[in-house]
Amino acid sequence: MALSDIDRHDTDILILGTGGAGLFAALHAQQSAPEGTKITIAVKGLIGKCGCTRMVQGGYNVALGGGDTVERHFMDTINGGKWLPNQDMAWRLCEQAVVRIRELENEIGCFFDRNPDGSLHQKAFAGQTADRTVHKGDLTGIEIINRLMEKVLASGVEKLQEHRAIGLIPTQDGSALAGVLMIDMRSGRFRLVRAKTVLMATGGGPTMYKYHTPSGDKTMDGLAMALRAGLPLRDMEMVQFHPTGLLAGDHTRMTGTVLEEGLRGAGGQLINHAGQRFMFDYDAEGERATRDLVSRGIYAEMRKNNDPEQEGVFISMGHLGPENVRRKFKGMVKRCADSGFDLAAGKVEVVPTAHYFMGGVVVDVDTRTAMEGLYVAGEDAGGAHGSNRLGGNGVANSTVYGGIAGDTMGADIRTMPGLRDPDEEVLAAELERAIHPLSRKPDLVQPLRKRLQDLMWEDVGVMRTEAGMKRGLEGIAEVSAALMDVGVAGDTLAFNLTWHDWLNVRSLCDISEVITKAGIARENSRGAHFREDFPDPGAMEDSDFTVARLKDSAVNVTREPVQFTIVRPGETVLPEGAPETLVAVP
Amino acid sequence: MTPDFLTVTIERGPDRQDRFEVPAYDNQTVLDVVSWVQQNADPTLSYRFACRVGMCGSCAMMVNGVPRWTCRTHISKVLDGNAVTIGPLRNLPVIKDLAVDMDPFFDKWVAAEGVHHGALTRDDPIAPIEAESAARVEANAAIECINCSVCYAACDTVAGNPDYLGPAALQRAWTLLNDVKDEGRTAILDAVSGTGGCHNCHSMGSCTAYCPNELDPMSAIAGLKRETAKSFFRRGR
Repeated sequence: MALSDIDRHDTDILILGTGGAGLFAALHAQQSAPEGTKITIAVKGLIGKCGCTRMVQGGYNVALGGGDTVERHFMDTINGGKWLPNQDMAWRLCEQAVVRIRELENEIGCFFDRNPDGSLHQKAFAGQTADRTVHKGDLTGIEIINRLMEKVLASGVEKLQEHRAIGLIPTQDGSALAGVLMIDMRSGRFRLVRAKTVLMATGGGPTMYKYHTPSGDKTMDGLAMALRAGLPLRDMEMVQFHPTGLLAGDHTRMTGTVLEEGLRGAGGQLINHAGQRFMFDYDAEGERATRDLVSRGIYAEMRKNNDPEQEGVFISMGHLGPENVRRKFKGMVKRCADSGFDLAAGKVEVVPTAHYFMGGVVVDVDTRTAMEGLYVAGEDAGGAHGSNRLGGNGVANSTVYGGIAGDTMGADIRTMPGLRDPDEEVLAAELERAIHPLSRKPDLVQPLRKRLQDLMWEDVGVMRTEAGMKRGLEGIAEVSAALMDVGVAGDTLAFNLTWHDWLNVRSLCDISEVITKAGIARENSRGAHFREDFPDPGAMEDSDFTVARLKDSAVNVTREPVQFTIVRPGETVLPEGAPETLVAVP
Repeated sequence: MTPDFLTVTIERGPDRQDRFEVPAYDNQTVLDVVSWVQQNADPTLSYRFACRVGMCGSCAMMVNGVPRWTCRTHISKVLDGNAVTIGPLRNLPVIKDLAVDMDPFFDKWVAAEGVHHGALTRDDPIAPIEAESAARVEANAAIECINCSVCYAACDTVAGNPDYLGPAALQRAWTLLNDVKDEGRTAILDAVSGTGGCHNCHSMGSCTAYCPNELDPMSAIAGLKRETAKSFFRRGR
């Protein structure tokens, strides 16, 4: 394989990813770029079908009156993120969500659940002080992504499906991005796509944990590429665990998938191995406490029990009446039944499961990065959520910032003279990195992924210590080194999933190291990051966030103070006398 | 009782069937069986999946000759003794092994005008809509379609007529026709009454019988037939 084997392809605006961010970016770029601009959307799977926006259950946070305000949404986001969010990003998220929800209903054609008077129905998730979450039953993501997908499929943008991005290729002087090296997965051929602007919206996804919720295609490829390109990554220690992932054994892909938040909200009980409820031992809200608290409660019970035969705890709904549960949670009951579990009347074994990645590339409020020509939006971008994302702020973030990225690229492209020439040396290095396993003796890849997932769960998971994370770093280094000796048969590269499994583990190892080093650097407990050896949150006014970057081929973590550009800890932007919460007590 | 091993036959092109012995587990889906083969027995096996939970519609295959979501099909439901045969989804071009090209399916979705035709913009307020109104109830009936292509694979009319738009695309058109927010009535009726349109349907009902989401494309297509006929007579007058 040589550089001459790489197909060369040019476009003007390239978008990586087809979740909420990528699809909105494509539509907005089309609206804002000058006529004749070529727009290309590339994705690791099929358009709109892979990725996680489609898997959104809960809904979309947006302040639409009835007492709720952008200011209130903003304060909830800052409080939820434990004062670590980039405040300007959080503000823009809350402010633009109002526009984006109208766009989704009016231009994209989504239909969200209604009140009897015909207005949008909104509900409150844990951590919200208003009924704010717009939704379509508990399948909100399907409605959003199906409608967006149709629009993009009908838009005429160029499609590169099952094209996996493997390297950001800068110009020779390193000042700007020239293009992206990809593998056309269907043929196995390499393709360099040059573009004036590139949006990276590949969507994080912490699948390096034994239990995880994101879709199977997500393996942190975007952040691994950004790291190699020298970009700063922030809040990389912040991994959100959802408390109730299905536990069905190591051999099934069902394990780790989410049993929805609403089950606990409706009165679902968590039961330990001894048959006892336990959440009230950990928090006054019991099962209704926020995700981080319930995850830690479950994890603590699991550790107490310490029985490999009976690892998880149970969620039990039967006391609410099986018929009632069947009616209210139809989709979830059916999903469990398909997998052999009776959610309505029986108990279903659950574990905390890695769900969302708050960390990401440092960007400005217009999605621009430190590298000219590169933009980042959605889960790949850090800052909007700080140390913890509120339920309902994820899809709001990806659609808001995806649209902004499309607008920004459409505007910036007007002042960009032309396509840039790639640094052929970086291109050669990225090619070499991807074909590395093809010249080695084939062996199984999956056992290494499992080793990585086990050690990340044990040592860099729900509860962390310095000793554990240092052990984790050694483990990651071992898996990483072992991977370089594992080969993949390269007789045919077309749709060679095992080659992609190898590349997946490569990305996951690289980002696992960053998560762990950022976790060691943060010697306090904030939001999703809990240190048993440093349980205190630290003073809010002294808040800082971690910034990781590759320096002389080593991951280097520094800390930067949070700029309280809008509100300082202890203060609020709500008017004097505003009630603490507008949510009726159940 | 679950056997210790499953005998799994995988169709890999018209002239090749490979047989694998796969360890059996209590909780095991068809997708898990396919994944086990690729991860442990034959690293060259190709297939597609994404969400693992019946939301993305990427992993449908023919299982013992029947189209199914593989992620949500417990293996015990489809075992014949301890054997199962898995092949690529019918009516779509095979890329390799169990992975098919879904573009023809989505091209038809777009050709059926399966996309919102709106008059309002992001600057307008969101229209109040009565959720219980008859039109909205009809529009809601199919809104949870995840475009998995199972109905398209089940349809004999698609098999016999490659131009036929197929059940999913037509069902989407019917949803939009009933959506009070949609302004594309004429375009939709034109799109679904052409040569590949709704009148090709023989109401055999495989789409409705096999839809894993328990949707009813056949009735949606019947609705389109009525509306296109009415519209034809109206125009004819």
